[in-house]
Amino acid sequence: MSTGAAPTASAGPAEPVARVENFSLSLVRHGVRREVLHGVDLSVAPGEILGLVGESGSGKSVLALSLLGLLPDASRPEAEGRVSVTGVDMLRADERDRRPVRRTALGAVFQDPMTSLNPTMRIGRQLREVTGADDTSVGLLDRVGVRDAALRLSVYPHELSGGLRQRVMAAMAVARRPRLIVADEPTTALDVTVQAQLLTLLRELRDDFGCSVLMITHDLGVADQIADRLAVLYRGDLVELGPAREVVRHPRHAYTRALLGARLSLTGERDPRFARTVTVADEPDGTGGPVGGGAGGPVGGGAGEMAGDTTGEPRPARSPAVTISGLRREFRVRRAGVITALDGVDLTVDRGAALAIVGESGSGKSTLLRIVAGLETATAGSVRIAESTSGHGAQMVFQDAGSSLTPWLSVGEMLGERLRAERLDRAASRRRVVETLALVGLDPDVVGARPAELSGGQRQRVALARATIVPPAVLLCDEPTSALDASLARSVLGLIRDIRAELGTTVLFVTHDLAVARLMGDRIAVMRAGRVVELGEAEALLADPQDPYTRQLLDAVPTIAELDERPAPLEGGTA
Amino acid sequence: MSVAYAPRARIRPGSIGGVALGRPVSWLLVALLVLVTVVALAAPLLAPFDPVQPVGGLNLPPLSPGHLLGTDQIGRDLLSRTLLGIRVSWFSALAVVASGLLVGGVIGLVAGAAGGWVDTVLMRITDLFLALPGALVAIAVVAALGPGLLHTLIGVSIFWWPYYARIIRGETKALAARPHLEAARLAGAGRIRLVTRHLLPGVVPTAVVSASLDVGNVVLLLAGLSFLGLGQAAPAPELGADTARALSQLLRQWWVPGVPGIAVLVLSLVANLGGDGIRNLLPARR
Repeated sequence: MSTGAAPTASAGPAEPVARVENFSLSLVRHGVRREVLHGVDLSVAPGEILGLVGESGSGKSVLALSLLGLLPDASRPEAEGRVSVTGVDMLRADERDRRPVRRTALGAVFQDPMTSLNPTMRIGRQLREVTGADDTSVGLLDRVGVRDAALRLSVYPHELSGGLRQRVMAAMAVARRPRLIVADEPTTALDVTVQAQLLTLLRELRDDFGCSVLMITHDLGVADQIADRLAVLYRGDLVELGPAREVVRHPRHAYTRALLGARLSLTGERDPRFARTVTVADEPDGTGGPVGGGAGGPVGGGAGEMAGDTTGEPRPARSPAVTISGLRREFRVRRAGVITALDGVDLTVDRGAALAIVGESGSGKSTLLRIVAGLETATAGSVRIAESTSGHGAQMVFQDAGSSLTPWLSVGEMLGERLRAERLDRAASRRRVVETLALVGLDPDVVGARPAELSGGQRQRVALARATIVPPAVLLCDEPTSALDASLARSVLGLIRDIRAELGTTVLFVTHDLAVARLMGDRIAVMRAGRVVELGEAEALLADPQDPYTRQLLDAVPTIAELDERPAPLEGGTA
Repeated sequence: MSVAYAPRARIRPGSIGGVALGRPVSWLLVALLVLVTVVALAAPLLAPFDPVQPVGGLNLPPLSPGHLLGTDQIGRDLLSRTLLGIRVSWFSALAVVASGLLVGGVIGLVAGAAGGWVDTVLMRITDLFLALPGALVAIAVVAALGPGLLHTLIGVSIFWWPYYARIIRGETKALAARPHLEAARLAGAGRIRLVTRHLLPGVVPTAVVSASLDVGNVVLLLAGLSFLGLGQAAPAPELGADTARALSQLLRQWWVPGVPGIAVLVLSLVANLGGDGIRNLLPARR
């Protein structure tokens, strides 16, 4: 739902709250001075929500910091033009003049509330610094939708969930009724349902307190949903500025169009290569032993029956690549007793098929993946990975490619490590490495590069190359694109699909994004609180969700009404 | 697809493009460290006289002809004695730190990587050694084994490794929590390979920095023990012992105890400055 053209009563010719005039800025990074913003002109009217869209590195966050007057001295900023908030020059005015502006006229919500809140101070004390009294704090927390607000005052930030922390940040940001809230990707780290709540909250704060909001995001759906006007930043240039509906529906600049094109929606075209029929030739399966099995041991009886039982799936049971049955995982926590992360999960993935597992943080989806990978053991139940000639074992692509690569090893060394078992000679192994790099779209040059010298997208490609250089029986993907920009994410997702088409790999893909799940999975499993609440063919499931939770997830996805209109349901297919 | 390298996240030693402020100074400090090591190595060649034999007048002041730093109470050349003394002090200190690093490093790495009861047992043993009063243990060991440089070094090494064990265990544990270890495990790296390839190189910078900052302390400690008579036997040149023997001359001929004393000061200073230099030059990880 778009409410882009929300109350326009405030859009009068009033004096803008913040004004950015012909603003150019250069910063020193890694010893090199570079211009990060070029002649940006922008203003935020009272009561207006201005969306600021752009990829990472486009200068969005630097612009936000400039408005707050918090550019890091260490990068020796040099600015031209003017950035003023309520008439005070935030670039050059004396710190004594800027501080009151920050205190009274500005509020900030950052992407990661954990690093913005003081981890050693209870929430109540941190709020009291802004509100002055606990009563006011409680009222404020109520206002931003924190339940049991009075109880929350005595906890530390780490005891709150991400959504709650972000709400506390929002409460602190609005406590002094600022004229302008600067929100820098406040929802990027949040689940869709929490994101929807936070967006609603920001809009309500605007309506109730009349404050302006500068909303920085890389998600056009989010921007369309909340912003009155939209500014698009591309490599430090303001390439487009206009009413949000207008910009999103009739983008003028090529970059905006590209950004829109990179967006994953719930209705875009899926990959025609993966029609319903599984293309991989049947292979005689040498059934592998159980992996990560706990007390359960190998499952007796037909795995096919199991699949039939639990999924009610019409497809005839063909040799499954992965069979998960009755999987339970409990964690013992000192104060809370036992936490059940997985509460009896049964799933099967056919050879060459892809299953996407969707759920919010804490739903147990990552734990499930880790048990399949053998990185954790199950409390009960078992996981079977069928060995086949097309690959063996499970390989995993982690969420954060940067930290899943060994910092001091080169790409070639890391890929070569997986080839050790094959006992290839130097030349053959080198050839294999280069081939695999080509498969993931990387130049042979990167063989000698270390992870720190690669960009985020390149690192994720390297991780993917490592996982597939020896084809695995099942490729596990744990939100591999959630840390990437839309266009990068799209290319990496495309790559995983290419690899699947090329190698016929079975894929288990965990994500919190329904659009990604639909793109990557033939089937989708929706998880909540350690259970699979719904399982079905991707299109059918999204077209006609049975479980209320699936419906709730679907409703929370920010969509651009006119662009994401559903064509006639694709149900059924041609099988 | 062309390869666009992202800017290096940190500057590594040797990169020419990224010479930041302070790096030349750091290199200078490290050069100082190298210089001292070279002097220590070449001491027998540099020394103008035999350090043990009387070669000139008694108690000649510094800058006397032929004797740059003067002579001592029995006419031995102070420059030669000091150079040889530096050699003994410097290499003894390096030996103690190296042995500590080796023993402590292995224990810390094993404890940190293995975790569980292995970690507990190794760390409690480490705690036990940490609780020993260091200098007293050294004195006791030397008393038991008899005087001599080797025995002093053994005595000091016994209680020097636990520091490294602690530091390296902590660093290993922090590294082991990173996803890259799980990724490497999945990639098929065995236990030994995990430790040597995916853990050890990450621990080395910390180990090197803490060790290099420690050399100065060991120089001081050894000089102190030697001052108390727990070092080499009498005629051999040794900074601490030379200072101690000539202490009664401090007011009349200050240079006789003063020159070796100042040498200890300079050594320990250079070791600390050099350690700082190394710390600045090594890339900060993560």
